[in-house]
Amino acid sequence: MSGSAKVVPLSRAQPRRVEARAEGRARDERARADGLLVALARLAERGGAGITWEGLARAWSALYFAWHSEDVDEFGYDPKFTGTVMPLLEFLYAMWWRVEASGVESLPASGPALLVANHSGVLPWDGLMINLAVRHEHPARRQCRLLALDMFALLPFLAPLLAQMGAVRANPENGERLLGKGELVGVFPEGVKGVGKPFAQRYRLARFGRGGFVRLALRTGAPIVPCAVVGAEEVHPKVASADWLGRAVGLPYLPITPTFPWLGPLGFVPLPTKWSIDFADPLPMAEYGPGAADDPILVNRLSEDVRSTVQRMVDSRLARRRSVWFG
Amino acid sequence: MSARRIAVTGVASFLGARVLRSLAEAQGPDAVVAIDVASPPAALGVRHRPLDLTEPASDQRLLELLRAEEVETLVHAAFFTSPRRDVDHAHELESIGTLNLLAAAAAAGVRRVVMRSFTAVYGARAQNPNFLTEDHPLQPNPALRWVRDKLEAEQHAAAFARRYPDLTVTVLRFAPLLGPGVHTFYTRILDRRVVPLLMGYDPLVQLLHPDDALGAFLAAIAAGAGGAFNVVPSRPIPLLTALHLAAKVPVAVPHPLAYAGAEVLWAAGLGAAPAGFVDYARYLFVADGERARQRLGFSARHSSRDALEAYLRYRHPRASWHAAEAPS
Repeated sequence: MSGSAKVVPLSRAQPRRVEARAEGRARDERARADGLLVALARLAERGGAGITWEGLARAWSALYFAWHSEDVDEFGYDPKFTGTVMPLLEFLYAMWWRVEASGVESLPASGPALLVANHSGVLPWDGLMINLAVRHEHPARRQCRLLALDMFALLPFLAPLLAQMGAVRANPENGERLLGKGELVGVFPEGVKGVGKPFAQRYRLARFGRGGFVRLALRTGAPIVPCAVVGAEEVHPKVASADWLGRAVGLPYLPITPTFPWLGPLGFVPLPTKWSIDFADPLPMAEYGPGAADDPILVNRLSEDVRSTVQRMVDSRLARRRSVWFG
Repeated sequence: MSARRIAVTGVASFLGARVLRSLAEAQGPDAVVAIDVASPPAALGVRHRPLDLTEPASDQRLLELLRAEEVETLVHAAFFTSPRRDVDHAHELESIGTLNLLAAAAAAGVRRVVMRSFTAVYGARAQNPNFLTEDHPLQPNPALRWVRDKLEAEQHAAAFARRYPDLTVTVLRFAPLLGPGVHTFYTRILDRRVVPLLMGYDPLVQLLHPDDALGAFLAAIAAGAGGAFNVVPSRPIPLLTALHLAAKVPVAVPHPLAYAGAEVLWAAGLGAAPAGFVDYARYLFVADGERARQRLGFSARHSSRDALEAYLRYRHPRASWHAAEAPS
């Protein structure tokens, strides 16, 4: 008798647990369909009783996937996260810097191309704005995959964000892989010398590396599109540099600007200058053939051609510019 | 006696057991011989030749055994997936054992050795390209004994391939396995509700489905191409995305604290892995599977996300995968 009395609650408990699991699953599916706010409201409604490790994990997961994709591409580009931060970038593009883009339509509508731009502004704002110009003003709404310098692409906290926004660490292998897939790739051959140049040397383009971007274009046959950004040099005017402090935290330099580090986090707010981004006509590279990448004289000449083209575009913009703030 | 006999070592390991089973099923039990300390399942009907690769004269015994069985292909899968506390034994088995095995194989006139390795041998480094190719130098953290033994095994393999042109050595560098039946040190971490990860870092990781790992082994045995090959899933996944898909509570730990904490926990006998493994949660070690596709005809059918979801379904069969309940 007592044996059967034990069996009854057990056999009752089993289906209950299965039901609870099924209910949890249904609840979870509902939460996904309803979206984040409804899920959070439900959690708040249940109050203190609703707080369990499982509930926390689920809410956290819902919160994370409310602004991140479940699937990213092989370099970590997350379209949903990019969409989440897009309003902020659009505000910077349209209202803060009032970016004036010209010549975007000269970019090829499809197929590989290598965008080569001048680098400036301490933080990689110029890259993000070039990306927006291509995204919003080019008829094909292309996505520009930026090759980010190691100092950004390997920096804790910033590195995952850049990868989610479509940036890729700058090295020849990554560039070749992206161009091979027919992507539009953006590079800043000046590198650290460009982005960290002192304010006194603004708009004077530094040496274009060792011509790696030209070899990349020659090997893949992708055309080079020179691009000039004006306005980005003044957003964080680097009046001095504390290299010894930068090295201590793993950076090539630590910029001293009128606002950083004196104003703390406010020092990260860029100044509202007026920007322009000009794109020149693509320079075809396929005619040289892939073997030309091994010709250092040709590579150097092409690299210098592109550098002087970008410098000329910058200079002609500067000559027309009357005010840093109003263009 | 078949002249095209295949011998398999490490048949007690998860992957070795699966390779042995599918070879026995495809080519008949007589075409396969199991070499291990532990015996294979009797139901397979495969002949078992007990051998301990850590014994001093194991090369001599293996040589006689390979000659007697007329082995043409030797599949070497005797490697530890998880770090061992007995590092000396692991070193004897993986590094010295592989050396002995290669010496015996070369002397016995074995045509081919297909050896298991790991993408971890590249080392997780900040400077790694997004996709490591097989030609990339192998630079793992030398303080990590687990990976150093694998590196030494690979170096022995490369040296033998150079010295004996008639011996084809195929090295398969597998991405970390995850899927039904996999039990390793990181599944022990993944089975917890709260999982630590490094503050400010979110590397892409590769998780290989066991079906793909088996497929790669069989493709390599069939194809006969020598050299090293990455065996990787069709797509990597960010570490944080994987943890959230598994409905874990990720706790961000500053990395200096993580190295110290991992070392202390490992020394105390509580941790799942020593501090050297923290690198693998910090930096990229994603490998490119293009060479295996071209020369072995192998490409993975599962992505890292598929492997993760297959593991979660296996671990929590009745819960839906993203509402995985805490393991009892």
